[in-house]
Amino acid sequence: MPIIDTDVHESFSSLQDLVPYLPDPYKGWIAQGAWRGIPQPFCYTSPGNGNRADVVTEDGAPVASDYDLMRRQVLDEYDLTYAVLTGYFYPTMLKLQYGLGTALAAAYNDYCAEHWLAKDERFIGSIQIFARDPQAAAREIDRMSDHPQMRQVMLPVVDDIAYGDPAYRPIFEAADRNEIMISFHHTTHAQGPYGMGLHYMERRALLPISLMPQVISLIVNGVFDNFPNLRFMVLEGGFSWLPHVMWRLDRDYRMGRVEVPWIKKLPSTHCRERLKLSTQPTEDISAENWIKLIELMGTDEILVFSTDYPHFDFDSPNAAIPRGLPDDLREKIFWKNAAAFYDIDVPLAAASIAAE
Amino acid sequence: MARHTVCRLKDLPVGKIVPANAGRARIVLSRTETGEVKAFAGRCPHQGAHLEFGCISDLTQAERPNEVSVDKSCSVLRCPWHGFEFSLATGQAVVADDRGHFLKLRRYNVEIDGDDVVVVT
Ligand code: FES
Repeated sequence: MPIIDTDVHESFSSLQDLVPYLPDPYKGWIAQGAWRGIPQPFCYTSPGNGNRADVVTEDGAPVASDYDLMRRQVLDEYDLTYAVLTGYFYPTMLKLQYGLGTALAAAYNDYCAEHWLAKDERFIGSIQIFARDPQAAAREIDRMSDHPQMRQVMLPVVDDIAYGDPAYRPIFEAADRNEIMISFHHTTHAQGPYGMGLHYMERRALLPISLMPQVISLIVNGVFDNFPNLRFMVLEGGFSWLPHVMWRLDRDYRMGRVEVPWIKKLPSTHCRERLKLSTQPTEDISAENWIKLIELMGTDEILVFSTDYPHFDFDSPNAAIPRGLPDDLREKIFWKNAAAFYDIDVPLAAASIAAE
Repeated sequence: MARHTVCRLKDLPVGKIVPANAGRARIVLSRTETGEVKAFAGRCPHQGAHLEFGCISDLTQAERPNEVSVDKSCSVLRCPWHGFEFSLATGQAVVADDRGHFLKLRRYNVEIDGDDVVVVT
């Protein structure tokens, strides 16, 4: 069966990898070590310190900075048809020095195009932006959208941005005019309503609560209505919450339409038509419960598969999606829904194997 | 079919909800800008709120976020509990549920007889 893995994290080996792509004065700043990157505000407790402990490069370089290792461990190992690179360096986490943030995003995109996308045609790229300067982010989207492998804009979920705010509209306008889609992924700064909790386990359990508000914000503030051709993907944020959000928003819309009459469809309809959620990290629920949840969502075209390689909560294509699910549903989760989202052809050979 | 004189026309200010009894039925009346009198059953079909505590307002509309205007030609009755909007013209809810079903207020025919407002149940 073809597999589109919608969440694979690639990385540079150090910020220095971006130096060749940075303009002055930022090139000099980064080259001389004036900034050490974005601090991680907690300690991972898994054997691999947040990554799969078997993702180790021979020279001890940071994980996911090695294409050959990634190819061996995930692209070839699972015969992925496509892998969507979603990055690990999100300049939006920088809360000041907007010029630097914008330059870092552009440098990262150029680095990614040369060191990752060019190496494997199975890669689909994400345009990284510095979202705090939406006009500059829009220019970066315009600049990178011509790259044939770039199929989405990555909107990192931090602790102070809800992307439905009208201030971020230039980002969606740019995605719309360039006909590329929008994905959301949490960052190490994403948090729940009362912060990150006091333990990593608590923080991880809170991650869906950092992503649900993005869906709510986009719909309530009219992004779905204003950009009918855009589609939205929430990565690594769980999916069992979606029926609740749909029901809640529908009820709230019936009660509060008077305030937001720019919403022209029931929020649940918007979700069913335009939203995708990635399956990783799955929650070890039974096949029966998967089916119940999908029934509650009202469509089997929302879920898309992802591994989250190289992270410790990796989902194996061989085991994470229960084999007890009907074949046509597994096909949708593993590739058809993502192919529709990215509007990509699945190679004939892979698709015909699936049909056999 | 029964005809009930429920109030005087002068007791119905435009844009207000006025409760009345039509036989044993509690109803609500409202007079529109155009002078028409509308009569509906007094309880909300959603969860049974007494609509006499609701309000009449113009329908809000917008094509762009945060650019809200009102459609003066379309008034809605808003339920006092959850605020669902019902068209004053038809009694139909403005928003359908997720099965595409529109709640509907039960509507009564109204006749004006001199200054009397007569509701037919
Ligand atoms: S009871 Fe009227 S809207 Fe709920």
